[in-house]
Amino acid sequence: MPAPALILSLPHPPRPGRGGTAAESDASPRESPRPSTFWVTHSPSWGRELAEVGGLIGAVTVAGWFSPFDFHALGHVYLLAVILLSLRVSRGPALVAAVGSALVWDYVFIPPRLSLSLLDLDECLLLGTYFVVAMTAGQLTSLIRAQQRSEQRRERRATALFHLTRALAGARTLDDGVAAALAQVDGLFEGQSALLLPDEHGHLVPHRASTLAPDAAALAMAEWCWRCRREAGRFTATSPDADCLYLPLRGDGPALGVLMIRPPAHAVRSSPRQHDLFEAFAAQIALLVQREQLRSAGERAQILAESDRLHRTLLDSVSHELRTPLAVLQAAAENLARDGAARHPALPAEILTATRRLNRMVGNLLSQSRLEAGGIRPLLDWCDVRDLVASARRELGDALAGRPLRLDLADDMPLLLADAALLEHVFTNLLLNAALYCPAGSPLTIIAGLDEARGRVYVTFADEGPGIPAGLRAQLFQKFRRGESRGGNGLGLGLSIVRGLMQAQGGDVLAEDHAGRGARLTIHLPHRPHTSVPQE
Amino acid sequence: MTAAGTKPEVLVIDDEVQLRRLLRFTLEDAGYVVREAPTGRAGLVAAAHRQPEVIVLDLGLPDMPGVDVLRRLREWTDLPVLILSVLGQEENKVAALDAGADDYLMKPFGGAELLARLRALLRRIKATEQANLLTVGPVEVDLVRRTVMKSGRPVKLTPKEYALFHLLLTHRGRVLTHRQILGEVWGPQLEGQTHYLRVFMMRLRRKIEDDADAPKFLQTESGIGYRLVTDAS
Repeated sequence: MPAPALILSLPHPPRPGRGGTAAESDASPRESPRPSTFWVTHSPSWGRELAEVGGLIGAVTVAGWFSPFDFHALGHVYLLAVILLSLRVSRGPALVAAVGSALVWDYVFIPPRLSLSLLDLDECLLLGTYFVVAMTAGQLTSLIRAQQRSEQRRERRATALFHLTRALAGARTLDDGVAAALAQVDGLFEGQSALLLPDEHGHLVPHRASTLAPDAAALAMAEWCWRCRREAGRFTATSPDADCLYLPLRGDGPALGVLMIRPPAHAVRSSPRQHDLFEAFAAQIALLVQREQLRSAGERAQILAESDRLHRTLLDSVSHELRTPLAVLQAAAENLARDGAARHPALPAEILTATRRLNRMVGNLLSQSRLEAGGIRPLLDWCDVRDLVASARRELGDALAGRPLRLDLADDMPLLLADAALLEHVFTNLLLNAALYCPAGSPLTIIAGLDEARGRVYVTFADEGPGIPAGLRAQLFQKFRRGESRGGNGLGLGLSIVRGLMQAQGGDVLAEDHAGRGARLTIHLPHRPHTSVPQE
Repeated sequence: MTAAGTKPEVLVIDDEVQLRRLLRFTLEDAGYVVREAPTGRAGLVAAAHRQPEVIVLDLGLPDMPGVDVLRRLREWTDLPVLILSVLGQEENKVAALDAGADDYLMKPFGGAELLARLRALLRRIKATEQANLLTVGPVEVDLVRRTVMKSGRPVKLTPKEYALFHLLLTHRGRVLTHRQILGEVWGPQLEGQTHYLRVFMMRLRRKIEDDADAPKFLQTESGIGYRLVTDAS
């Protein structure tokens, strides 16, 4: 008697508190088990299979009784019935079919009818041959079918693993990878899953992509599994009556986390092969987590190096840029102290220029550091572009001297919802930038309007200077990037601040080279229509 | 400055010695008597004792926020107060102006600008001397007959435009916050409707200014409010 291949125990009833609570409703798979492609969903029922065997053999017998065929022909019909049955039932019932059909055939049809006694040697040989053929054919058919099924399962497992590996390899971030992996797990195992990773305090926390929200008991179980690096829960030796299966993600050192799978309620058991698949999944996900940990460690090191470099650049640049006006101030003050103002009528103007320059530099440094610290909270209010241009001009004073500035406003130019002080800073920086890179006396134009298609308001600062070299355009808005300016001064913060301030207000800045006729820097903000203004 | 010939007294509340020294130098030169206080508390005491004509108050004091000093002052006096602020204190500045400060200056500032602001503040005290006829560049305003003439030609202002212009005129030289103007002209329930102000200011500039895009008189203080400059060159 071959051992029944796929029998273990009845499914455990779901117990609240023993496992997790599903994040999504899982009522339907519990109520009506769908045919499962992965899990063994039911214990094969001998009763039902034996009934099938009895039914078919009975049917052949009754049909044969009323038919004119002799017992030789009916023997072949029995043989056919046994092979058909072997395609449907397991090996035990197939054996029963072979033995049963031989006995019924002998009893009912082989002369003498309705008797088990055999008359001659021929009939003995016939019955014996029939029995051997029926049994062998039935067992072979069953065996081939079982092999075919196991082959299919193996292929499905290999495909699943292949899909997982591919999904993980394609993932660019840890979050992507975990989401892809958990989706694969959910799809293949037809349940819910969660990935628990330790946080900075050393507690396991479910990843955001988890489809299962573990309760306190589940977390305690996961913690145990993580600390002991041993699997636990359903289908394992530890707490097999739990709702979920807990698999440690084994890395080089301590476990990296825990993969928690809740199989559907109708899943009865897992075979050793399936178990291998769980472990393979856990191993793949562990690799992903490990890879991400290494990558973020590498990135941190790179960021540190980069910020170190920036700080050094900042210090060099700042001390150099600050010293120039300071040197002017010191020399001018010394001259005035020694000789009096009458002998140096130009010195006060020099002092004023130097202090303005210092003041602007300090303003830019302050803005940049506030932008980096995230300390800028825009106070959005309605602003008029004309106001901003006027106050930016007033602020810049003689820095724009000798440059004609034209304001080209669309008739339907709406008010901007922005932070006036920040936007004024943007305008001064853009005007000063144009003044810095364009030859003296070249005109500047400010064009403003409404881009209804994109739902935004724009202000373009167009100059007629040398334009922006193609190589520089990509880095134009990075800090400490300076072009070849005529004065050769500045911290290289102006445009980086412009971008930072615009983004803080929900807008942005773009640069384009206007076909060899100077540079155009365009800022834009989302267009927000205001409520109507009463006439009076 | 003052009619009686006595020198007006200025109280400077600032913790930086060098700045106080420079202010003393500038102000005494212009005919003021200068008192100094290095902290907010000392400033409050000095203000109560000396009853100066005008107070210059730094917003960044070591012992208490300048805005609090201002609020304490406003509990008992409406002496004109000019606040000094540095870049990055925009919110404090508006809060101080809304709390009753009369004007502000950003550090660093020029001596001439400081003196012009103080003159504008002291002018307010002489409210009784207010003339019926005011001149702003080419514009003449008759406050009794509520008429406005520009270069000899009458300018038609709507009642709201006139109210706006009148408010700035009576506070000429001083900054008025959006909230103050809106509350005064449109009523306190519309204090947040800055876009009303923008639209009406544009209309007013078209009628008053020679070039509305580059106003000489009706000037914007970004993020704060407006100021009518009468002695624009």
